[in-house]
Amino acid sequence: MLKSANTVSKSKFWFLAGFVIFVHLVLAYRFFQLQVLDHNEYSRRAENNRIRATSIPAPRGLILDRHGEIIVDNYPTYIVSAIGAEIVEKEKNYKVISAATGIDTAILKQNYKNYYRNRFLPTRLAKDLTIGQLSRLEEAKDELTGIVYSQFPERIFNSKIRASHVLGYLKEIDQGMMVDMDEQSDYQYGDLVGWSGLERQYESQLRGEKGVAYYQVDAFGREAGPVEGHDNILPNPGNDIHTTLDVSIQALLENEFNDKKGTAIVSNPRTGGILAYVSAPDYKPDLFTGMISSKDWKTVIADSNRPLLNRVTNGTYPPGSIYKMVVGVELLEKQLVTTDWSVFCTGEYEFYDRTFRCWNENGHGKINLEQAIVQSCDVYFYQAIQNVDINDLAIRSKQFLHGLITAIDLPTEMKGRVPDRQFMNKLHGRYGWSKGAMLNLSIGQGEILVTPLQMVAYTNLLATRGKTYPLHLVQSQNEMIDAPAIRSRTWNRIQDYMELTITQSNGTGRWSNPKIPGLRIGGKTGTAENPHGEPHAWFIAYGEKDDEMITITILIENGGSGGEVAAPIAKRMFQHYYGPKTTKLVSK
Amino acid sequence: MFAEFWYKIKNSPLSLLLVVGLLLLIGLVTLYSIAQVQAQTPPNAFSKQMIFLIPATILMIFMTLVSKGLVHKYIYLGYGFIVLAVFIPFFGEKVAGTYRWINLGLPFGLQPSEIAKWVIVITLARYLSDHNLQMNNFASNLVPFAIAILPTFIVLNQPDLGTAFVMMTPVIPMLFWVGARPYHLFLIVAPLFSILAASNEFTFTIWAAILAIVIYMAKPQLWHGVGIYFGNIFLGLIFPLMWNTLRPFQQKRVLTLINPDLDPLGAGYQIIQSKTALGSGGLFGKGWGQGTQTHLKFLPVQESDFIVSVIGEEFGFVMLFIMLVLFSWLIVKIIKLGLNASDRFSGLILIGISTIFMAHIFVNCAMTAGMIPVKGLPLPFVSYGGSFLLSSFMMIGLVLNFGREELD
Repeated sequence: MLKSANTVSKSKFWFLAGFVIFVHLVLAYRFFQLQVLDHNEYSRRAENNRIRATSIPAPRGLILDRHGEIIVDNYPTYIVSAIGAEIVEKEKNYKVISAATGIDTAILKQNYKNYYRNRFLPTRLAKDLTIGQLSRLEEAKDELTGIVYSQFPERIFNSKIRASHVLGYLKEIDQGMMVDMDEQSDYQYGDLVGWSGLERQYESQLRGEKGVAYYQVDAFGREAGPVEGHDNILPNPGNDIHTTLDVSIQALLENEFNDKKGTAIVSNPRTGGILAYVSAPDYKPDLFTGMISSKDWKTVIADSNRPLLNRVTNGTYPPGSIYKMVVGVELLEKQLVTTDWSVFCTGEYEFYDRTFRCWNENGHGKINLEQAIVQSCDVYFYQAIQNVDINDLAIRSKQFLHGLITAIDLPTEMKGRVPDRQFMNKLHGRYGWSKGAMLNLSIGQGEILVTPLQMVAYTNLLATRGKTYPLHLVQSQNEMIDAPAIRSRTWNRIQDYMELTITQSNGTGRWSNPKIPGLRIGGKTGTAENPHGEPHAWFIAYGEKDDEMITITILIENGGSGGEVAAPIAKRMFQHYYGPKTTKLVSK
Repeated sequence: MFAEFWYKIKNSPLSLLLVVGLLLLIGLVTLYSIAQVQAQTPPNAFSKQMIFLIPATILMIFMTLVSKGLVHKYIYLGYGFIVLAVFIPFFGEKVAGTYRWINLGLPFGLQPSEIAKWVIVITLARYLSDHNLQMNNFASNLVPFAIAILPTFIVLNQPDLGTAFVMMTPVIPMLFWVGARPYHLFLIVAPLFSILAASNEFTFTIWAAILAIVIYMAKPQLWHGVGIYFGNIFLGLIFPLMWNTLRPFQQKRVLTLINPDLDPLGAGYQIIQSKTALGSGGLFGKGWGQGTQTHLKFLPVQESDFIVSVIGEEFGFVMLFIMLVLFSWLIVKIIKLGLNASDRFSGLILIGISTIFMAHIFVNCAMTAGMIPVKGLPLPFVSYGGSFLLSSFMMIGLVLNFGREELD
């Protein structure tokens, strides 16, 4: 069993014993050093003072527009906190604070509970105090114990614009949220964290690093100057982010959407940068700053227009007639039609036992592909689509970025959907759908759903003949996205058709033309039928003058005809941008 | 049967118990002071510690009486169980941010990692005594490391860096005891140093020189020596690159695990308070129940990890010195018993257990005195803590059992 003999030399014992004694001597010396040699110094610290450490919040980085104009800034407010180990008679303290500031004691109590970390650290009772409130507190100082004040930077917004869906908001971390935030556990209760929009996407750049202030505190809890040997650690402010937004264009479009629901996005297709981003209705960007009243919150939540929904990234809609360029490219590339081939539009189209209507009840007469896009004839597409396979159309749609996330620098984005055979079989059953579904798809109706942001990417592709860049809100260098492999002649034709849509006297996009010399505009209207009432009005367009190009994508929910409602907004935007009164706006 | 038990107890090295008793007394007096002055009504740390002494003593007697043969026979099985047990807390709830505890529905939790410490020691002792190992052969050193590393790795993920450290330390003196070449032990810890030294060009240059000298002096085969040398250098060079692929918050987490001082509101604050408490105690202390730092509650976890600061503040350097004398006597005595043990298995267990005590004492005192980063390790017999008290008493039982002079 225990057979191995214990043959160990005595020198090993002496080696180990010597080591043990050596370690104990080192420890003893260290205690001697602290307790005897440095005794006076530590005595002084212990008897007269205790040390208090509080964190100094770091100002978040600013958010700037492309000209350097500040969109989101910080302003100083004050917070009042209590230190659990030092506070005597909490209730009495709360009453004094309440009397000086007008804040209800119940709120103070609730905050103490929410932000409590441990009894040595300041726990926030109230924030956003004004200088007035602070000075009244200061007067009542004698009645308070263990109460401290500190500065706290809050967000303040540019008054010209709202852009709340882009900028996003901050949220305060309380004990409930901490549980969900395990991944970034270096946050503490009471810290602000970007909770949506750019504030969330760029949280790590914006937040900066907190500092620490050490104070000596006397036996009555009064601060008695800095601590020797423990210099304060200054906070490291967050980095500013330079967006591609343009405050003046954003303001113009927000104004247009004051009484409308929908989205409008202006971008530079040569960079992918977004100049304006409107999702209406929205909310005031400072809604979440400071203490949001439960009344305000309920109003926003209960609003049936859903102002908290970011429609640009998270709303999905049928594209309607703006989809016709995808079908047009498929027809031309696969040589399913010639440019001369035409259809006679009577205003409706019989297909087996169903009647499909053109938007123009009187009919367009004899019409080829060019005029079918310019005048947005539906019947042409009902006829032409019958030679197209649904899977080929799905591939083409994805080539033009329908149903794919754009990977814009915002936290959430919907994918939309592009139906293919497998999808249709799953939805309707193997024999539950027929070619009739293709007729709907040909004019961007039916099962297809896209986000307005996908339509921005689509418009940028059309504007640049495929040579465009990923959409983004913060200035960055990106690789060009994969251009659809399409013959140059097809690009020429599609662009010609889009430009005729604007310039031809009966083109559906004619109301978007500001008629500025030298300005080339191409576009397409859409009027998407939907089960929620009036059709959604779409308009996409690009404009180019003196080598400066921008695109605009407009959607007005239940707005009616794209040509009549959405196109005029684009006209005013083009006027603002390319018109004579404005100064040079695009900088490379 | 009782006669046999009595015989066993009578022949155990009972003088150890006197030292253990004195250390316990220091701890209890301090815990009583904390409970009394802060007006904590029972159950407080003092009363709970008193209650834990009952099962602790019973387990100690059991460990003193259990047959050595049975321990030897079943230890591999026990090792298997303990590896599973340190895994179990991962399926339970997090307590205080870690997965150390098993909840049995009792009013207190159990930490299987405490038991794992000495189970690893006995497992290593059996492996090293069973196999007549050629300790000059480098490969023979690796299996013992594997035995210790498996549970250590699990504990490290709980995360409990202190306990993981304690689990690994016995391997080196135990290998040394059975005749491993110091050169081999050096090779095993070398990669760790290569990584640590890589943070700074100057230290890395010095380390590279030391490595070269040690390898040269050991006179290995040329290719072995060159391979080991450049392997280590390569590791040191590649590590910063791997490090940079981590995201900033991941880096910060790893760094805070190694050095909690990076969180100045947390651990850094504890060290300031602990040093102030110790230093203000002076030579003779402020007197029992008079510690201002203690009783103004500025010292965190004062009942367990930072109890040395309370002792130092209230009883001064003199008492800490007495405590260190008692500890060093205890450990040297256990090593002495190891030297005189009748067989290698017993000797190795004693060496391993002495190392565990030594590691606890060093880490706890050095941390309290601000010499090393904060690691939550309690002080044997002195600190409050149920699982650790049970484990420490069981280890003393093992020492009494395996350190007994066999007269037959």
